[in-house]
Amino acid sequence: MFSKTGESWTGDSRNGERKPGERGITAAWRISLGSTVVFALGTTVAFLLLHHYVSREIQRRSDAWLTGEVSVLSDVAERTPRGALYDRIVDEIAELATKEVPVGRGPVGDPTRAVFFLETDAQDALKLWVGPGSGRIFLQAIRRSRFTPEQPVNLPIAQFPAPYRVVQYIADDGSRIYLGMSERNDRQVLWRMRAYFLGIFLAIVLLGFAITFVASRQLLRRVQRITETAARIDEDNLQSRVPGTGGSDEVAQLAATMNRMLDRISGAVQQLHAMSDSLAHDLRSPITAVRGKLELALMAESREMCEENVASALERLDRVSNLLTTSLDVSEAKAGALRLHRTRFNLIELVQSMTELYEPSLLERRITAHVQDHGEIVLEADAALFHRMVVNLLDNAVRHLPEGSSLWIEFDQKADWVEIRMEDDGPGYPPEVLARLFEKHVKGDASQGHGLGLAFVHAVVAAHGGAIRGSNREGGGTQLILEIPAHTERSASMATTG
Amino acid sequence: MRQMRILVVEDEATNRDFLRRSLEDNGYETTLASTAQEAEEAAKSSALEGGVAIDGVILDLMLPDGDGISLIRRMKAAGLSAPVLILSAKRSVDERVFGLETGGDDYLTKPYAIAELMARLRNMVRRTETHAQEQKTVLRVQDITLDLLRREARRGEQVLELTTREFSLLEFLCRNAGRMVTRSMILDQVWGMRIEPETNVVDVHIYRLRNKMERRGERPLLRTIRGMGYVLQDR
Repeated sequence: MFSKTGESWTGDSRNGERKPGERGITAAWRISLGSTVVFALGTTVAFLLLHHYVSREIQRRSDAWLTGEVSVLSDVAERTPRGALYDRIVDEIAELATKEVPVGRGPVGDPTRAVFFLETDAQDALKLWVGPGSGRIFLQAIRRSRFTPEQPVNLPIAQFPAPYRVVQYIADDGSRIYLGMSERNDRQVLWRMRAYFLGIFLAIVLLGFAITFVASRQLLRRVQRITETAARIDEDNLQSRVPGTGGSDEVAQLAATMNRMLDRISGAVQQLHAMSDSLAHDLRSPITAVRGKLELALMAESREMCEENVASALERLDRVSNLLTTSLDVSEAKAGALRLHRTRFNLIELVQSMTELYEPSLLERRITAHVQDHGEIVLEADAALFHRMVVNLLDNAVRHLPEGSSLWIEFDQKADWVEIRMEDDGPGYPPEVLARLFEKHVKGDASQGHGLGLAFVHAVVAAHGGAIRGSNREGGGTQLILEIPAHTERSASMATTG
Repeated sequence: MRQMRILVVEDEATNRDFLRRSLEDNGYETTLASTAQEAEEAAKSSALEGGVAIDGVILDLMLPDGDGISLIRRMKAAGLSAPVLILSAKRSVDERVFGLETGGDDYLTKPYAIAELMARLRNMVRRTETHAQEQKTVLRVQDITLDLLRREARRGEQVLELTTREFSLLEFLCRNAGRMVTRSMILDQVWGMRIEPETNVVDVHIYRLRNKMERRGERPLLRTIRGMGYVLQDR
């Protein structure tokens, strides 16, 4: 079984798709690139939306200022009587108005000044000009465009890189007032915003990429360590473990799970070795005995002697087969692998029918068995295993109790478990046996058994999730107490933890 | 009347040959199969008009080309109606039960006593043939008379004082008179337990029964065959 998995593993690595290391770097790259692209696209979309909103908002604000200001100016222009002072007053007001613009205030007359005021008379001749450069260039541009009164429009002016946002007002006398504001400042704001964004964007994307790359590579390195550990596992070496499984994240959990799995596998393999070792131990001596009997049969001088030895060999073979079954059951139960076929039965009835079977054997040795015969204790357990368990207990009694002894078997239904109490007034367990009563091959010096009896009893009780205690009674004799859970659920959970 | 034919499905040549000889000694004809495929073909041909009819199957669960449980299903699907006796090297109770649930009619764990195998085969084949012997109410072997309705046993004219269990034991021996029965057969059939005691419990029961039914100085009716079991002599 193990050699097969070993071969299939080396087969895989011989196919050599890629070394684990390369695979890790590639995966880190993939993860980092993927997440970075997604992040960059998302951020760009968010920025475009923001940009759109900000530019519209800036324009709305300048438009609101322009329309408000042009109505103030037109008001002033209409109320101010035409005369020598008119130009100067309107000029002042316009001058003030241009200074209200929050950004890009330049010195008066500076061609970079952001705001202009232009008034034409009814004949469309330039009447008043406050603003950068020459009013004529602006007037020409204005004449080329179509205006709706009090609706700001974009007006490109030759020699000025940024267009002006211009609003028109037509006075009652037919003269027109134009107030314009350069979009240069707005564009500067937006341009600056874009520049900031680009800078931050690049920094974040690069940083994000680097962090993701480093983090995922570290993570994948840990995964790779697990891969390497798994690669080291083969039929000879089950001891390899994933190092450094501290922490509680998913990879640490994977590593811990992997280590636990390896623990279990190596435990099972050790059990297997122990099982085959102890089987070999259990089988070798009886097989030797069978062989000896058959050799004697071959060399026998009379047919009678020959038959006698063959018959004896057959009897011993039956015992070997029985021993094999019991030994495997004990080992399986120890490994927690004994499968139970549960049925409901009356425990008292079962024990009674077994004692009935043993009664002549017990009587022959003048052993009196007192088995509680009243009441009913229903157990959900493996009846076949219980049969064999009681056989072992009674075999022990027949074998070890001196003539004239008494044997008591009593039952007790406790809250959620059943107690079987077996006592006798024999000599008790020898002290060297008592300490290791339920271990395999532990038996008294005088015992003819194979030393599996109580180990098997213990195995059956443990497989059902119960416990067993053995002691010497004060007045002499032995006492065995078997506690078995009455309910399946409980016994199932106890069996898995036991 | 034609002889019964048993299909033996066993991959191990020694065991297969041993089974063939034992079956022929017991008056059966045999068809041998060493693989699941051969067994399936034999089952198919037995279901055909003019094919070789099969009355029983002895099947080793572990075959080189597929497991025995699915083979049973396939053979039954191919039209085989004969009962199947499963031989298993696995000892787990689960597997035994599983075998019986999936179409095996009886099972025996390796290693088995050939006498037990023959007894189980006989029971199994008879179950599907006739129940004549079971329907008898009085069993007679030599001068032993068992009245099954009145639960009374006699040796000649003398009534034997038997316990209920001893009566069942004697009934079992009478039904198998002239044939050997093993201890595990007795435990299974009389006590209903598949157990292998390490002590001589069955022998003590036989000893007590013998004391009640055998007369001093006569040739014993109930003979012990060492290493194997007992025979109730029928002549």
